[in-house]
Amino acid sequence: MNSTVPTKNALLWLMLGLSLAALPHFSYQPMWVFVIFASMLGWRCMAIWHAWHLPSKQHRRMQWLHHSIAVLATVLLLTSYGNLIGRDAGVALLTVMLGLKVVEIRSSRDYYLSCFLGYFLVVTNFFYSQSIPNATLMFIVVTILTTCLISLNDAKQALNSRSQFKLASQMLLQAIPLMLLLFVLFPRISGPLWGLPTDAHSATTGIDNNMTLGKISQLIQSNEIAFRVKFNGQQPAQSELYWRGPVLWHSDGVTWTELDNETKSATLPNILNLGTTYNYTATLEAHNARWLFALDFPNALPLGIKAHFTQDGQLLSDDPLRQRQQYELSAHTQYRFNEDNNSYLADALQLPNNQHPRTQQLAQKWLQQTQLPLELVQLALTHFNQQDFYYTLSPPQLSGDTIDTFLFESRRGFCEHYAASFTILMRAAGVPTRIVTGYQGGEINPVDDFLVIRQRDAHAWTEVWVKGQGWIRIDPTAAVAKHRIDQGMNTIMPLNMRSPLMLSNSRQLAELWQTLRNNWDALDNSWNQWILAYGPELQKEFLSKLGMPSPNWQQMVIWLSVSLSIILLLISSLIFYQRKRLAPVIFLYQKFCNKFAVNRKASEGPIDFADRVKQLYPNNSAEIDRINKLYINLHYGNKSVSIDDLKQAIKTFKPPRI
Amino acid sequence: MPHTDITAILQSINTIILGKHQVTKLALTCLLAKGHLLIEDVPGVAKTTLAHTIANTLGLKFQRIQFTSDMLPADILGVSIFDRQTNTFNFHQGPIFTQLVLADEVNRATPRTQSALLEAMEERQVSIEGQTYRLPAPFFVIATQNPSTQIGTFPLPESQLDRFLMRLKIGYPDAEAERALLLGQDRRQLLEQLQAVISSDTLIELQKAASNIHIAPALVDYVQKLLAHTRESGIFHFGLSPRAGLALLHAAQSWALISGRQQVLPEDVQAVFPSVVNHRLNVRDEHSQSNAIEELLSEVAIP
Repeated sequence: MNSTVPTKNALLWLMLGLSLAALPHFSYQPMWVFVIFASMLGWRCMAIWHAWHLPSKQHRRMQWLHHSIAVLATVLLLTSYGNLIGRDAGVALLTVMLGLKVVEIRSSRDYYLSCFLGYFLVVTNFFYSQSIPNATLMFIVVTILTTCLISLNDAKQALNSRSQFKLASQMLLQAIPLMLLLFVLFPRISGPLWGLPTDAHSATTGIDNNMTLGKISQLIQSNEIAFRVKFNGQQPAQSELYWRGPVLWHSDGVTWTELDNETKSATLPNILNLGTTYNYTATLEAHNARWLFALDFPNALPLGIKAHFTQDGQLLSDDPLRQRQQYELSAHTQYRFNEDNNSYLADALQLPNNQHPRTQQLAQKWLQQTQLPLELVQLALTHFNQQDFYYTLSPPQLSGDTIDTFLFESRRGFCEHYAASFTILMRAAGVPTRIVTGYQGGEINPVDDFLVIRQRDAHAWTEVWVKGQGWIRIDPTAAVAKHRIDQGMNTIMPLNMRSPLMLSNSRQLAELWQTLRNNWDALDNSWNQWILAYGPELQKEFLSKLGMPSPNWQQMVIWLSVSLSIILLLISSLIFYQRKRLAPVIFLYQKFCNKFAVNRKASEGPIDFADRVKQLYPNNSAEIDRINKLYINLHYGNKSVSIDDLKQAIKTFKPPRI
Repeated sequence: MPHTDITAILQSINTIILGKHQVTKLALTCLLAKGHLLIEDVPGVAKTTLAHTIANTLGLKFQRIQFTSDMLPADILGVSIFDRQTNTFNFHQGPIFTQLVLADEVNRATPRTQSALLEAMEERQVSIEGQTYRLPAPFFVIATQNPSTQIGTFPLPESQLDRFLMRLKIGYPDAEAERALLLGQDRRQLLEQLQAVISSDTLIELQKAASNIHIAPALVDYVQKLLAHTRESGIFHFGLSPRAGLALLHAAQSWALISGRQQVLPEDVQAVFPSVVNHRLNVRDEHSQSNAIEELLSEVAIP
C-alpha cells in the first residue's frame, strides 16, 4: 500500500470534520454554497463506495467538470456578494473551495492542506457566534481534525478509528493547561486587530428609533435576551423597573419618531434625584444602535463605557453597540426631571395635521370639565379603566385613522396603543406629552440572581410635563392591565408563548422547561461574564488580583514565557524521573545498547540484538556475549547474580566507532 | 543431558523430513510442552510422515485414524461388547488407546465424532457407559487437516481449535530438499528402519525439564503486553484468552529447552508466538493473518 495516499477512513474522518465545521455557516450563507459543498463531498463519497471517477489526468471530463464548478462558484460568489473580500464573502469562498478541494485530494500533501484549512474554517465560526453550543461543536470538530492528522500519520494502521479518536481527545485534553495559560496571560487588545468589514454587523432584533402601532407587539414574540442586570444590594420593586430607551416626540399620524440629533443633544437634562440609590451592573447584548437601557433615572454617567445623556433623558453610548457591553450605573427611582422649565415643549404638543378628529373631540370635551393637567391625565386614565378597553397581546389590525379606530371601535390594544392614543389625547388637551420606549420589568433567574430582561419585556409608556413637577411618568397600560406592570410580562404571557407548544398542555412540563431554561441562561450568562467578557480591563483586574503589579503586555509576555518554561520543565522532569525509575538492569542495558552505531528495535530481544551487533563488531564478539549473558541472567534468569559485574563490564566496554 | 537427547531427536527426524528444520523443531516443542499439534496443509507435503517419524524417533506406540464423514465416536474410543460366556460387557479399546495418535484429516469427520476425539485429548481419558478408562502416558494427538476451502470438510470450531497448542503449516520443500527427496530412498522404507532415539520415560523427563525452565517477571510482563495488544489494538475480532497466554508460556519454555537455555527469553516467545496464536486469532481487516501477527510482534516493545 502506498502510504502517501490517504486511506478511506482518513478521508471519511476529514469529510465529517469539515461538514461539522461548515454546518453553522449554512444558516447564513446562500443556499448554493451548501449545495456545492454537499455535492462535492457526495462526489468523493461515491468515489469511495461506488468507484466513481475523480478529476485526474486519466479522466479529463471529470477534471473539466470540476473546473467549471469552481468557475461557477466564483461567479456566484461575485454576484451574491459583489466582491470576494469581507466576512461573509470570505467565509463563503473558503467553504466552497474547501468542498472543491476534497474532491481533489490525491496525496497526503492535499490532505494536510484540507485539514489545516478545516482548522481555519473552525476559526471563522467564531466571527459569527461565540456561544457555548458553537464552542462545543468546534471543540468536537478540532478533535476530529486532529484524528485526521493522526490517521494520516498512522501508515501502518496500528490504531483503529476509535483509538485514533481517543488519542486525539487525549492530546487535546493534555493541551488544556496550556490553553488556559494562553487565555489568561496572552495580552488582550481592546477592539479588533484589524478593521472588521462593514458587513460584520447584521440586523438584530430589538427596540427601534421609531414606533408604529403593532411594532412592539411583534417584538414580544421574541424570547431573546436584551440585557441582564445584577443589582448590588437593594433591588427596586417590579413596578418601578422602567428601562429607558428611545424617547419619541413626533407623530405623522402613523409613525412616531425621535427628535433630530441636534435638538436631542442641545442641552442636558436637569435631574434632581431623590430617595434610595440602587447600584447595578448591566450586560447589554449587541443591538447595533446606541441606547444604553438605564433604570430611570441614573445619577451619573455609567462606568465602563463612554456615553452621554440627551436632553430627553436617553443614555447614549458614544459608539454603536456592536458587541456585548457591560456598564455600571446607580439610579434613583424617584426623581424630578426638568421641573422648572423645558425648552422643547412645542415638540411635546405637536399633532399631525387634520387627523384623529374624534380623539380631538373627546379631548375638547374633557377640557370643558377641567383645565388642570393632572386632572386631565386622571380623566384619560379613568376613561381607559372604566370603558371596556382590553389589554391584549394580539390586537386586531387597525385601518384608516388608527388612533380613532382604536379609541372608539376596537378598544383592544397593547402598550403602544395606549401610549400613543394617550399622548394624542393629552396633546389635544394642551398637556405636553411624549412617548418613552424601552423595557419594563424583567425576570429574576433564581439560579444566579441575575435580572433577565428579554425582548418580550419591551414596553412603551408616556411622560407628561407639569410645571413645577417636571416630566412625570404616566403608564396608560397600567390603567388597563395593572398586573402587567406590577408582576411583569411573564404573568400576561399565555403558557404556550413561554414554552414550546408541546409542553404547554401540562403545567409541570412547562415549569420544568422554565427551570431548565433558567439554568441554561445562568450558564450562558457566566460564560458571557467570565469567558467572552475577558477583555483588556478584566484581564488587568484579574492579573493584579494574581499579584502582578500594574499589568502591561511586556509583563504578560514575561509571565507567559516563564510559566510555559515551568510547565515544559515539569513535563520533561516527569519523563526523566520515569526513566530513572526503570529497573537499574534495564537502565544499564539501555546504556549498553546505546554504545553501538545501530539502534535496538523496541521489539528486539537481547540475543537477536547481540547477533546483529556482533556482525558489525566482529572483534568485540566475546565481550558482547559476556555482557549479554550477564544481562540475561540478571533480567530473565533465576540465579542471584550481582549487578555490579554488569555495571563494571558495561563501563569498561568501548566498541570502536564505525 | 537433555540437550544431547534433543539434538539427537531432531537429527533423526530431519533425516526423514528434509529441509524443514523450523517445522520439526516447532513440532517437537509442542510435544515437549505436552500440547497437541494440528497440522494444516494440502495433501502430499508429508504431514503423515512427520507424525510417523516423531512417533518412531521418540519410541512411542503409534496409531493412525483416518477420519471420514461416516465415522462414529465408537470407531475412535472403542465399544463394549456382550460376552455370552461371562454374561458381562467387555470393553474393546478403540485406536485412541495409544501414545501417539495421528488423526488424519480430522475435518472430514462430523462434528460429533470430532468432539469425541477432542474431549479425549483434553481429559486424557475416555468415559464410556459410566466407566472411565485412562489413556496411556505420554499421550499426544497430531491431527492433520485439509485447508477448509476444500470440499467435504467440517471446519473445527474455535473452541475446539483452542485444544491444540499449535497449528503448523508444513509448506512445500525448497528446491534442494525436494530434489534430495525425489532422488532419495522411499520414505516409508526409511521410516521402518528408523530406530527410537529415546524411551518414553526419557520423554517424560524432558517434559518435566521443559516445565522447569525459568520464567522471570520481566518475561511475564512481555507476554502480558502481547496479550493486551491482541485485545486492545482492534486488529482482531477477539483477543487472546488467558489459556492462550498459558499455552504461549509453556511453548516458550520448551523452545528455550530445545535451544539449550535455562531461562525463557523474549526471542523464545517470539519464535513460538505465530504457531501458538494463529489458530486462535481472527483478523478483522483484509490483512493476511500471518502479516498481522508478524506486525504485532514488531509493534510490542520488550519491557
